[in-house]
Amino acid sequence: MKRIGRLFAYGFVLLTTGVTVFPFLYMVSASLMSFQEATGVPPALLPAHARWSNFGEALRAAPFARYAVNTLIVSGLSTLGTLATTVLAAFALVRLRFRFKRLLMGVMVALLMVPYEILVFTNYRTIAQLGLLDTYAALILPSLASVFYILYLCQYLTAIPDTYYKAAIVNGCGDLEYMWRIMIPMSRSALFTMALLLFISGWNSFLWPILVTNTTDMRLVGNGLSAFVTESGTAVQLQMAASTIIVLPILILYAVFHRRIIEGVHVNGIKR
Amino acid sequence: MSITIRHLGKRYGERVALRDVNLEVCDGELVCLLGPSGCGKSTLLNIVAGLLDPSGGDVLIDGESVVRTHPKYRGIGMVFQDYALYPHMSVEENVMFPLRVGEHRVARREALVRARRFMRLTGIEDLARLRPGSLSGGQQQRVAVARALVQEPRVLLLDEPLSNLDARLRLSIREEIRRIVKATRVTTVFVTHDQEEALSIGDRIAVMDRGVIQQFAAPQDLYLDPANLFVARFMGSPVLNTFCLSYDGGRRVLAGDDFSVPLGVLDVSRFRRPVGEAESVLAAGGCVLGVRPEHFHLVGGSDGLADAGADRFPVVFGTLVESVEMIGRYAVVHFTADDERCRCVVDVRRAPRAGDRVLVGLDCVSVHVFDADGGRLY
Repeated sequence: MKRIGRLFAYGFVLLTTGVTVFPFLYMVSASLMSFQEATGVPPALLPAHARWSNFGEALRAAPFARYAVNTLIVSGLSTLGTLATTVLAAFALVRLRFRFKRLLMGVMVALLMVPYEILVFTNYRTIAQLGLLDTYAALILPSLASVFYILYLCQYLTAIPDTYYKAAIVNGCGDLEYMWRIMIPMSRSALFTMALLLFISGWNSFLWPILVTNTTDMRLVGNGLSAFVTESGTAVQLQMAASTIIVLPILILYAVFHRRIIEGVHVNGIKR
Repeated sequence: MSITIRHLGKRYGERVALRDVNLEVCDGELVCLLGPSGCGKSTLLNIVAGLLDPSGGDVLIDGESVVRTHPKYRGIGMVFQDYALYPHMSVEENVMFPLRVGEHRVARREALVRARRFMRLTGIEDLARLRPGSLSGGQQQRVAVARALVQEPRVLLLDEPLSNLDARLRLSIREEIRRIVKATRVTTVFVTHDQEEALSIGDRIAVMDRGVIQQFAAPQDLYLDPANLFVARFMGSPVLNTFCLSYDGGRRVLAGDDFSVPLGVLDVSRFRRPVGEAESVLAAGGCVLGVRPEHFHLVGGSDGLADAGADRFPVVFGTLVESVEMIGRYAVVHFTADDERCRCVVDVRRAPRAGDRVLVGLDCVSVHVFDADGGRLY
């Protein structure tokens, strides 16, 4: 009985792994195909021979260096900004006493239910009316605060006994000093996970940057992929090659920090 | 530096946590706040620290009101039950921390010198580089005390600092805390729910219940001369024996089923009120007789316990020993009298066995008599 159960479990894991990993592997495989192989019916799983030249060609199709710099700036700044606002907000929500706190928390949780796509339009109008279209500010501003991560950090902070805060106050700390010297070091692992996930989502962002930027100079790496779409069709094999290159930094980040990422997600999952 | 607490009150909506608390702690004194959980002792400490705002009343440190003062300007050091040592700092950094934050920050070098002094005082110099996580409970406790003292506070507040330690360690650490506190001459308030701890460490003890200070007195006075039934019951182990007796005004006796105590055998000088007045209170509502376990004496028994002078006691009754509990030099004998489960302490060599019939003499002069509301009459 037990063995059958385990067999099922393994089978399930293999199946889900296959489903998630297949598109990724196919992307890598397709990046080495010829145009005919990549678009043929029935589709080929593997290229007859690897065409490494696709990568060079893909990189020449759009100013990827510029895109990469843009993406680094935008994801980096919005990650730092989100960390700052999240730390301040979570501290206030967990440690300070003020009127309508519960109501505020309730509204924030409710906001989590609003899909991003709906917010995109109002955000676009705001940015347009501020005259910020096609600037870094347009790319960064809307992602400077995240309700999700505020609630995530609140969860984490409530697990830290309030005596640390009391002790710090009695020791002569101000609130900012407490945050900087006690709270942030004590929640390092949560903040680190947050930073990684924020950076990754910044790197992968596609919809928002393409909405608020017009010039190639302001585009991010994700948008570079549309360079392969022309009137005559899509150069799938080049697009796949570019995708592979773009995903690479994230894969490296993950490879280096995967333990921290899993830890962060895990800890939050089993919190009392 | 003295602490004066005047008419202090704290309410959370409908619930009253503190009611008209008045307390005077003298310079250099070590005062314990003692009471069951939920009695308001930690609330009181937190208000003195400034971590909670009172609903009314005043707290003065050294004659000046501090209720509007931020905790960091009150000149207090505090030790918490869970120590609240910062896990990402070494022992030395923890002790230095209060000197390295806020407006009164001092240079790192000077902070280190001062921190070392208190680390020496608490005997943790060798642990300087370690993280709190790798220390034992007792060591963490010392670090917390050193950190609380390093600012040379006017007042040291300790919130149940020993309850996370095991029994043996508690004994030695509490002596240690008293030594350190007395060496630095800092005015100290120590919160605990453990009467033994309070009795051994405090110069004076404030016993609290339901947000009210029931009695504020020296340790021995709390035991020998309790202000009311709550204090008498709370102090002492094994716990006070109590009997609800009615008053027979004609015969002038406190009458129970198994035994009665004539008012005549009590010491008139120990009545809290004029005897006549006390009698009318007794007649109105009966009384609760409180007998310490050492004030019952086994004066004879079926197994030929030496007749230890039953005639010395004006009140003697017979009963059956239900069980005997050894606690070293003494044994606690359990029996039933007047439908109450009673405890009496005897020398272990003279302890009877369960099932023995014994004669119990009552040391009437030493008993306490409380009115129906728990107020002390005798």
